[in-house]
Amino acid sequence: MATSDWLASFEAAAAAIGAWDPSATPTLEALEAVRVEYLGRSGRLTEALKGLKDLPLEDRKLLGPRAQSARAGLEERIARRRAELESRQDLSMEKSGVDVTLPALPALRGRLHPVTLMMGDMTRVLGLMGYSLAEGPLVETDWHNFEALNIPAHHPARDAHDTVYLKDLWRQGTAVPEGAGSPPLAGGGPLLMRTHTSPVQVRTMEKTKPPLKIVCPGRAFRRDAVDASHSAVFHQMECLAIDRGVTFADLKGTLDVFMRALLGQSTRLRFRPSFFPFTEPSAQVDVNCLLCGGKGCPVCKGSGWLEMLGAGVVNPNVFKLAGLDPEEWTGFAFGIGIERLAMMKYRIPDIRLFYENDLRFLDQFDEDIL
Amino acid sequence: MKISFNWLKEHADVGCGANELAGMLPRLGMDADSIARLGPAFTGVVTAEVLSKEKHPAADRLSLCRVSDGLMTYSVVCGAPNVAAGQKVPFAKAGAVLPGGTLSKAKIRGVESEGMICSCKELVLEGDASGIMVLDPSTKAGQDFAALLGGSDSVLDIEITANRPDLLSHLGLARELSVCLGFPMKAAEERPLREDAGLRSFPVEVPSTGECPRYVGRLIEGVAIGESPDWLKTKLKAVGLRPINNVADITNFILMDTGQPLHAFDADLIEGGRIVVRFAKAGEKMTALDGRDYDLTPECLVIADASKPVAIAGVMGGSATAVTTKTKRVFLESANFSPVTVRRCSQLLRLRSDSSYRFERGTDISAAEGASRSAASLIQRLCGKAVAVSPPLDVYPGKKEPSPIRVSADRINAILGSDFPRDEIRRAIEAVSARTQGEGDALTVLAPTWRGDLATPSDLAEEVARILGYDRIPSTVPTSALRPTEELRSCAVAGKARSRLAALGLHEALTYDFISEKHASLLEVPEDRWVRLANPLTEDWTVLRPSLIPGLLQSLRRNIERQAESVRLFELGKVYSRDAAGVRERSHLAGILYGPLAPAHWKASKEKTGLFEAKTILADLLSGVSGLEWTTQARDGGFAGEDLLLPGSRVFIRNASGPKGLSCGCPKGLSFGCPKGLSFGSVLGRLGILHPKLARAWEVDREQPAVFELDLELLAGASSGSKVFRPLSPFPSSWRDLSVVVRQDVPYGEIEAAIMGLKLSELDFVQLVDVYSGKGVADGLRSLSLRFVFQLPDRTLKDAEVTAAVDRILAELKNRFGAELRK
Repeated sequence: MATSDWLASFEAAAAAIGAWDPSATPTLEALEAVRVEYLGRSGRLTEALKGLKDLPLEDRKLLGPRAQSARAGLEERIARRRAELESRQDLSMEKSGVDVTLPALPALRGRLHPVTLMMGDMTRVLGLMGYSLAEGPLVETDWHNFEALNIPAHHPARDAHDTVYLKDLWRQGTAVPEGAGSPPLAGGGPLLMRTHTSPVQVRTMEKTKPPLKIVCPGRAFRRDAVDASHSAVFHQMECLAIDRGVTFADLKGTLDVFMRALLGQSTRLRFRPSFFPFTEPSAQVDVNCLLCGGKGCPVCKGSGWLEMLGAGVVNPNVFKLAGLDPEEWTGFAFGIGIERLAMMKYRIPDIRLFYENDLRFLDQFDEDIL
Repeated sequence: MKISFNWLKEHADVGCGANELAGMLPRLGMDADSIARLGPAFTGVVTAEVLSKEKHPAADRLSLCRVSDGLMTYSVVCGAPNVAAGQKVPFAKAGAVLPGGTLSKAKIRGVESEGMICSCKELVLEGDASGIMVLDPSTKAGQDFAALLGGSDSVLDIEITANRPDLLSHLGLARELSVCLGFPMKAAEERPLREDAGLRSFPVEVPSTGECPRYVGRLIEGVAIGESPDWLKTKLKAVGLRPINNVADITNFILMDTGQPLHAFDADLIEGGRIVVRFAKAGEKMTALDGRDYDLTPECLVIADASKPVAIAGVMGGSATAVTTKTKRVFLESANFSPVTVRRCSQLLRLRSDSSYRFERGTDISAAEGASRSAASLIQRLCGKAVAVSPPLDVYPGKKEPSPIRVSADRINAILGSDFPRDEIRRAIEAVSARTQGEGDALTVLAPTWRGDLATPSDLAEEVARILGYDRIPSTVPTSALRPTEELRSCAVAGKARSRLAALGLHEALTYDFISEKHASLLEVPEDRWVRLANPLTEDWTVLRPSLIPGLLQSLRRNIERQAESVRLFELGKVYSRDAAGVRERSHLAGILYGPLAPAHWKASKEKTGLFEAKTILADLLSGVSGLEWTTQARDGGFAGEDLLLPGSRVFIRNASGPKGLSCGCPKGLSFGCPKGLSFGSVLGRLGILHPKLARAWEVDREQPAVFELDLELLAGASSGSKVFRPLSPFPSSWRDLSVVVRQDVPYGEIEAAIMGLKLSELDFVQLVDVYSGKGVADGLRSLSLRFVFQLPDRTLKDAEVTAAVDRILAELKNRFGAELRK
């Protein structure tokens, strides 16, 4: 190609570029058209640059830089205009006036029951402390629920366990006594709904050799008329540690660690003497009132303390009944009512709310970060 | 147990007030449930004489009195119209504590008043409140008015644990306070008794089998039955007992004082003049002191005369031989009965008394004679001028001493984890039992006769801890071998299922395990599989639930009543059924979906929740908690629990690798697996639209709820091992969308199964993207639009290969179902 021809087409393109007013290009699409026209694969400037190679060396030296600078200049103007147009486009949502305060659709998310959450917190903490989960049936024998826990038939301690019995169902191998169906009293016989989670202790000792550390959360049943503070169905968590040389002090320390992890590091415990046939010494354990922190308020009846759980050193009789040597093995156990703790923690006034499953109730609970 | 604080103080020098004492009890293992104040609620009020009365200089209705308490004279402003010189009145000096507050000197209309002449109203006493109280003219001035009225008292209602029957009396509690708090005991009140050696008790016959280890009888003659003196009546009233007559009141007094139950019979009504302790004969009846008739059974130990039971041993006396105003001679019983015997009988007859409450916990056998003597002494003193008392007849065949407990201080520290000094431990044990011998390291302890609960070193460890303080025992965390805790598979599966279902938008419910017979029959579970309760609490709670659905329906109904529009609930829990082996208890998981998918919302679809939402949930749940291959099977096959679901909507979740088909021939039941091969029974659960008859019964039929229920144990048992990574193909996939037209009654499941059955290696997956019938598709047919995605792991597929695979699929569908490609 002759230099003059090349120059004519280049000058024409350069003049057109010079005349181009970026601000008159209103959209990104129009800008892209301009880019393609000059800088596209067969754009006018691209063609000129391609044509350079056919020019004589002298001309190339002279004209090459001009063409390069024209391209660079155009590229820069396009880029600047693009940035302008893009930033204008970024504001378009603001201009169109979307109401960002319109409510979003709530996530379709369910919740776990507060009893489950509470038991989960407890077993998680105790799991970290080396306790394994254990389970047992809800339909129990008199042996597992009472006798093996050092609560013989006709012991007044049974007064605290108003029991639901099953009709015409007796422990296997036990003859059905005459007149079965009337409240059965004879030792051994009737099947019942377990009145606490403690029978899991017995079942674990039957099948696992110590040392052992278990936690057993679950349902328990009492023949209690249902009212704001009583429920015929409720949940408990039982904890049992058996090893050589376990002491009451170990029980205190374990509960200290456990309750602080559960309720916060400022939690304080008070151990009071109490009586459970399966532990000796036994203790009732109070925590400083969750509401007033211990100053005294209506919830703690001014005492600053809330009754929280029962605990004690495993009674050697329980080991004997389980066929373990009480001279060799020692242990401690504690049991805690789940609803009661949840009621205190969340200030729930009525235990029946746990079993009504009102969505407005269930919606309020979520996993706590301990 | 009600304890009168005044009464308690007769036994021990209680070095604090009643409120303070109540605050200390928890440390000893007792709880004071309440404290009630009895008697005058004021202090600092004395009897006084009005010396003179003048008009108040500045007020017509007030008078200015001079009042003397015998020592000093006070100037008092009084507003009562009835005040007059010479009257004896209750006078509150400055500093007196009245129910309305503490009184101080005050200027009334410019004149200082140094106290107040009181009316009934200010002292909260009964009587005419229109003016001041005017006392009997013979009243001596200067006496404490509260004391004159009988003094005030505090009554503590104390909860005593079942192992401490010895605390069920004023003496027993005083003894405990002395042991634990160091309050000194007071000398027992002298109760002199003149026994008449010529008088003989009735003969007493006791069984040799141990139900009555001791029986002390006395005959008392010449009693005059009447009212008890005020001090006695006051004491009984304080602890909530109604005074009856002097003899009965004395026996009750001794019971509350010492814990030993006594009974007084009218001796002239005891036939044959002898006492027989024996078991009741079948058919014997007795009217007890509570006025009710009791049918006695051979489990009931009774006190009988020559012909009939006159008392239920340790529980309650009979009304026929009760002491009445006519009584002249009394037979006094002070006995010890076996706890089991008394408790069994008391439960059988549903009759409890202060006496049975103590006997069933165990009374102090050695106290029986002393109590008899005290009561006889009081009867002699209070029930007539010429009361003759026989010497006691003490039937006590097997006198037993408690077994010695051998223990060391080290042993006690080892149980407690404490570091108490040896001498401190020894002192604590000696406080509990004076009969302690040996040196610090080898003690032999004979427990007091009233402490039947002390038998082992552990028992003594508790005593030491109680006396020295639980708070002095250190807190230590046990060291233990480092080994991982064991995972409990059932709990892990349940936990994952719960969080999965919550993430899918369901709320977790907990419902009761008890349902009504009506609801049990609605579920069409055969009655012989029901687990019934022997002693149900209410009629609505008589059967253990055979399914979780009734509880969820109850909860759904409640939420609808509370105007919830959209309800999605699930529960994990036990279900129960009865079979030849007894009770079968299985873990189930169930859910219920009701109402719109989302609440009314500008962004939400208005779609209702239904069968396919339930399938979505189950698919995700199963993929999360079980490695099991599963399929749904729609055919109704007379299978367990299908009556719960609307016909045509029933879907069974079948273990794809288990036996084919659903009819396993098992009886209709509750769990879904076949009882013969539970671990890999073919059916894991069911889902569908709730049968309308159930929706109507629970009044949740405004919409059609979808329900599902699974056997969680089968699910957990069928879980797979670990997953293996499937490599990602780097080669592009090819898609083909095709619509085929088939008969309406060909289930899609079979079409998909046929396609997958070809096992084409090129076919990655197939997805149903549309279902259409209507214009352009002939009646009785439907068009299914399928998206086939082809991909190989090792190379790019050629177009011809994809076409060949599509052709094979179409040929198979045509061959099997007569399906045609839609034009």
